[in-house]
Amino acid sequence: MKMFDRHLSRHLAAYVDGELPPDRARKAEGHLSQCARCRAELEQVRLGMTIVERLPLTEAPESVWNSIQGTLSTHEPRRPFPIHIWRFAGGAAVALILVAAGLYWYSARQAETRWEVVSLNGSPKVASRPIHGVGHIAVGEWIETSGSSRARIKVGEIGSVDVEPNTRLRLVTARPGEHRLALRSGEITASIAAPPRLFFVETPAGTAVDLGCQYKLHCDATGHGLLRVTAGWVSIEWSGREALVPAGASCRTRPRIGPGTPYFDDAPARLVGALETFDFADGSSALGIILAASRARDTLTLWHLLSRVGAAERPRVYDRMVEFSAPPSGVSRDQVLRLDAQTLGRWREELAWTW
Amino acid sequence: MSIEFSKYYRLALAACSPLACAQWALAEEFSLMIGSPVAAQNFQAKSAQFVFRTKGCGKLAKLQVSGNAEGVVNGIRKSIRLSRIAAMPVAGVYALHREWPAEGIWVVNLTGRCDAATASALVPIGPNGFLRESSKFFPRSATEAEIEASLKSLATGTNK
Amino acid sequence: MVSLSDREISAEIIDSCRQGDRDAFRALYDAYKDKVYSISLYFFHGDAMAAGDATQQVFLKLITGIRQFRGDAGFSTWLYRLVVNTCLDGARQYKSHAVIVDRSVLEAVVRGGSQEEELARMQIASSVQSAVSSLPPKFRLAILLRYFEDLSYEEMAKILNCSMGTVASRLSRGHRILAEKLAPLKGWLSTRHE
Repeated sequence: MKMFDRHLSRHLAAYVDGELPPDRARKAEGHLSQCARCRAELEQVRLGMTIVERLPLTEAPESVWNSIQGTLSTHEPRRPFPIHIWRFAGGAAVALILVAAGLYWYSARQAETRWEVVSLNGSPKVASRPIHGVGHIAVGEWIETSGSSRARIKVGEIGSVDVEPNTRLRLVTARPGEHRLALRSGEITASIAAPPRLFFVETPAGTAVDLGCQYKLHCDATGHGLLRVTAGWVSIEWSGREALVPAGASCRTRPRIGPGTPYFDDAPARLVGALETFDFADGSSALGIILAASRARDTLTLWHLLSRVGAAERPRVYDRMVEFSAPPSGVSRDQVLRLDAQTLGRWREELAWTW
Repeated sequence: MSIEFSKYYRLALAACSPLACAQWALAEEFSLMIGSPVAAQNFQAKSAQFVFRTKGCGKLAKLQVSGNAEGVVNGIRKSIRLSRIAAMPVAGVYALHREWPAEGIWVVNLTGRCDAATASALVPIGPNGFLRESSKFFPRSATEAEIEASLKSLATGTNK
Repeated sequence: MVSLSDREISAEIIDSCRQGDRDAFRALYDAYKDKVYSISLYFFHGDAMAAGDATQQVFLKLITGIRQFRGDAGFSTWLYRLVVNTCLDGARQYKSHAVIVDRSVLEAVVRGGSQEEELARMQIASSVQSAVSSLPPKFRLAILLRYFEDLSYEEMAKILNCSMGTVASRLSRGHRILAEKLAPLKGWLSTRHE
């Protein structure tokens, strides 16, 4: 048998845990009796197992259950009849159980897939039905506001979305682990208080992923969009292209291109104009203007540009960045120019302290 | 002989001094640094006024941070001890949430202590959030005079 | 309130959960919450907030997907697959600084006198946590699943979507890395059995 003619390194844990079949375990014992190296490694594995036993089992805090309960409460159906009461009540009860279960299933489905909508102004429409006061929007339905109407959608238990005038928005998913809207045109203001990646807004040119934030998202009839973040930060993603947009910054989007390069709202107008050219038109001449007009705070823009310019232009972006902020230790020019992901992440973490 | 020895000794001492100074310089001074909430890289900081971190504290277990909101409301001087300074998962990073009213002018006085070292920051709060460029940092606790000067600058609009 | 021991997840409990019985879901939650939380806690470098988020996500996914779960066979396999996927997804988002195990601290601790025993235990637990945190994510998960839930290699292979040989390899290498990092503990541990 070829098993265990070589060293046992990969199998030692299985040997200690008794997970080797009996014949293999015997062969392992035979090998160990003759191999000092494997005996030493066996002791290491045993020590490692003893070490892990020092990890205490930690009680989950009650706040975790409270959060789960809070999320479920939004979608909570009417509580079902206690099933055990009916089990012994005979045939008629069976029919009642079926009816109750059906009602339960129906109300559960409704609760899972509907969000409350409040009219803030005028009569916004949900599925072409005007809303007066309070209504609901179900998964798959559209909400539309006219020039004089506004609405507020309650997004589960995690926040709200204000639907501004002349907006068309669809509810895509309404689940505890995923709250998703699709903005076809118009503007929304989202205010979300939840762990990241629970709330998403799709547009024709990118999906805004909530990372804990407040933001405005505008999309015109041609699918051109503008994301403006007022608190926290948002990631906007499309087809592998991603932009991180912190508070005080904005990012344009275009269909078939996705998110542009984010910029701070107080950036020089020259920079913002050149950025639009760079992102969505022939950008070859725009880079020089962007670099010349950039300030220390615009390393947000420059950092994103590193991966959006060609290799030949990248040193120019890097050199401009280091004029404003020396890279932290562990970040080398060579790694940055190679777009090493870990390096870029490390530098972004440090730069974020200046944004 | 003794004179030559003395000369060489002085030369050696002079050569070593920069090294000695460099040794001292290499040890990073304890200080505070402020940033926008995005710097914390954590959603818990989303609604914070700003975040801050400590630098140069070799003994994080002994790190203590505290803060006061110093303000003037309708001509009356106010001071509020801040209780919502939240430690972030990354050691030495904190999020500071608003605990002072909207009216009046306010400066946040942050103090950090790491073993025997102290550092502080005076961070003026403007209508759109903290004023980074007007913030001042000290390798000790800020003095009352410095706090009053910061409030006065904010009141007269000489802060950005 | 229904109470359950570790392995008493019956088809009835699962069926009750499917029907929205909140008490049954709470019982299911209580049966597994500490292990799920502990695995998440040590996976996310001791970050209680990340562990709480991950635990919440696991159970929300569980209650959302329980209608698709058929019977109680392999329930823990299904549950821990949710845990693994949630942890690995979270690891891609989670940023933390490099975790360093200071061996000189360990050496000083194990030399300490009996009056410092409690402090020593705390520091050692912290060092162990740091060492586990420094393991590659897949090794980390294998060790945590094995230790906290005592799953068989066959079950772990299903959960981790790999072969039993890969499970054995990850456990072997992971434990050896821990032993290397925490070698000063060897003598201390051999004299203390709890």
